[in-house]
Formats: sequence, C-alpha cells, structure tokens
Amino acid sequence: MNATILNGGLAGDLFVDRLQDLLLAELATAGYQPAAWTLREEKISYCLGCFECWTKTPGLCRIDDAGRLVSASVINSHLVIYLSPVTFGGYSSELKKAVDRSICLLSPFFTHVDGEVHHQRRYDRYPALLGVGILPHRHVEQEQIFSTLISRNAINMHSPQHASVVVTRDLDEPALQAVLRPALSVQEAIHP
Amino acid sequence: MNTPQTATLLIGSAKPIGDSTSEALGGYLMQRLADYGLTGETHHVARAMRSEARTAGLLAAVDRSDLFVLAFPLYVDSLPYLTVQALERIAAHRQAQENARPVRFVAIANCGFPEAHHNDTALAICRQFAAAAGLEWTGGLSMGAGTPFGGKPLEEAGGMARGVIAALDLTATALAKGDTVPDEAVAIMAKPFMPIRGYTLMGGMGWRMEGWRNGVYRQLRARPFANQSD
Repeated sequence: MNATILNGGLAGDLFVDRLQDLLLAELATAGYQPAAWTLREEKISYCLGCFECWTKTPGLCRIDDAGRLVSASVINSHLVIYLSPVTFGGYSSELKKAVDRSICLLSPFFTHVDGEVHHQRRYDRYPALLGVGILPHRHVEQEQIFSTLISRNAINMHSPQHASVVVTRDLDEPALQAVLRPALSVQEAIHP
Repeated sequence: MNTPQTATLLIGSAKPIGDSTSEALGGYLMQRLADYGLTGETHHVARAMRSEARTAGLLAAVDRSDLFVLAFPLYVDSLPYLTVQALERIAAHRQAQENARPVRFVAIANCGFPEAHHNDTALAICRQFAAAAGLEWTGGLSMGAGTPFGGKPLEEAGGMARGVIAALDLTATALAKGDTVPDEAVAIMAKPFMPIRGYTLMGGMGWRMEGWRNGVYRQLRARPFANQSD
C-alpha cells in the first residue's frame, strides 16, 4: 500500500517537518510504503486555470514540473495525507499550490453526488484522504472549517474514506502519536 | 465607521488580464463604487505576487484603502494558491503593525459548479482571514455557474448577468454608505441563472467541443498516471 504525504509547511516551520517524520514512521509501521513531498522545496508552478489538462492534454497539466509528479504520486496511493498549518481554516499556500494542480486527476464532465454537481472520475480508484492540520492553539471555528474542507475535497476527489485531525504545537511526541494513530486507520476500511 | 472613500480590488484569478470572471465581477463592483465617489485601484494576484516590490505595492494599497475587495475563483473548494499566499502576506503585514488602519473587507467568490454553495467554505476562510488581519468583515457574495462569463464585462453578458448585476448594484450602494453586504444581494447572487440540468448539459457539450477543436476528443478520458504502482 502506498501513502503520500503532502507537506504544506512554510519555510522555517520545523514543527510540520517533525510531524512529517512522525507520520512517515507511523505509516511504515502500519505497513505502508510512504512517500513525502516537502512542497516548499519543490519547483511547482501555480495552476493557470486554463483547463488544458482537461481539453488539450487530457489528464496532464501543461506545466512540466514537480506538480505532475505529485499528482501521479497522489493517484497511485491508497492514502494521501494533507499536512498543513491551518491557515484561516484552510490549507497553507504551499499545500494549496499542489492541490490546485490536482484537477487533472478528474474528468471535466459533470456528475451528481448526493444531489450536488461534481466532476466525474478520471481513474477507477482514488486514495483515502487524511487531513492533518496544525494550529498554535485550539480554534474551534478554524478546526471546523478545516474539517469541512477535507470533507469537501474528499467528495470532489472521490475519496472512498476521509478523516481530519488538528493538532496544536504544544503537543509532545507521545501526545501527537496518540492523536495520529487512530486517524491513520481511516484507510483500514478499504485495505484492512 | 465613516463612509469609505477609497477601495482596493484584488483579483484572485491567475488568468491573463481581461480573461477571468473574477475580474468581470470585481471590476463591475469597482465601477459602481466609483459612481458613488470612491477612488479605487486594482491589483491582479499573479502580478502582485511576482516580486517583493509588487507585493509591497499590494500591501500598501490595502493599508491606504477604506475598503478591500477580493474577487476570486473557487479552486478545489477554496481560494487559489496565489490568493492564499497574498492573504498570508496581508495578514502577517497587518499583524506586525501596532495600529493598523481600519479597513473593511468584502469577498466575491465564483465557481464553475452551478450551485453557489460550493463557495461556502472559501467564504468562511475569507472571514477568518479578516479576523486574523484585523479587517472588518462586511460579507461575501457567492456565485455559481461562473464559467460562461469569462472576462466579458457584465454589461455585455446579456440576460445571464441580470441577477449578478442587480446583486452587485445593491452591494455597491450598501458598501458606499458604510453598510454590510445586504442579504438580498447575497440571495440574488447565489440564484442560478439557468436550470442546473441545462447548465451541466451545456458544460459537457462545451468540454467535448473544446476537445474536438484541440484534436483530443477521443482522449478526453485519458489516464496518463494509471497503474504506475500496480
């Protein structure tokens, strides 16, 4: 089983990198082959909103950079983890840069999911999605928005399972493990 | 608060100037605010975030404005990367000031899905940004089915823009008086301009035609990354 971590930590945010290392260890223990992308270190251009990945080079962004590799890694994983400072309730700019480039994984055509219009699948299988958000301290509204955003992304990306957790920067390693281990079981329902 | 005299528009679309629905929406609101005597300036996010000097220009523009207008497209359920980056910079800049000048903030979201409520999470993020940056939240407008508008001025978009224009007119009147975005404007803006079924049918036809024009009609469902790990 493959797992991909998208690390959306901003420059100098060592806590996010420590959390990434912890997640890598937990994933390996759980039997995954994990990979991590520290997005701020990758050359990834921003999505131009041109839709050429739907209408000109279907399934492939016209920008040939690491953004393509990240999308390939995502769609070939059983579990994807969005690891990010919670930024006004959403993702950091670094994570959003990669997420925006992932629309090539969907079809442009519409379908209905629970009465809402969404895009059709391009692939047969999509990964489970786990959001791991980081806040300096508890913030109920932002935690709720983060959880909702993960849920909305999971619908759009046809993720078979999803979950989200928000951790605060004051937690030590055992406390972080205690939060993350149950969250990682999000994918067990599909691949026990 | 006194009635605003100055406004700054940030267009959160990375599309070329003149090509985006966000620019059409934000530009129209700025025109109407100008009718009420507000002076304004417009920044495009792709330009504003291209260099430190240009970003400083955006930060200064927000600082000297009474009203900050953000018009953006929905990208994967939230704001586009460059727009998030701009908001991170604005919030950090204002948090570093001891006495940041009061600035009001309004957000206009548009998405390609016919239902406007896809924008709800993005507008909730905008509201949190306002709190973090010390801006006064005046409300958000949410539009679905934004794709057909493109960069066309709303006045030239025909009947499909009637509701949008009415919503932005109401909003401009309220903001110029120092009020918040009226509930009526929010409701009008969110109302689909055509039946959802019709929109999705036309959308599907549009994608097929575009694929045909590009010579990839039969490849539109291609899976270039399939089974790389199996």
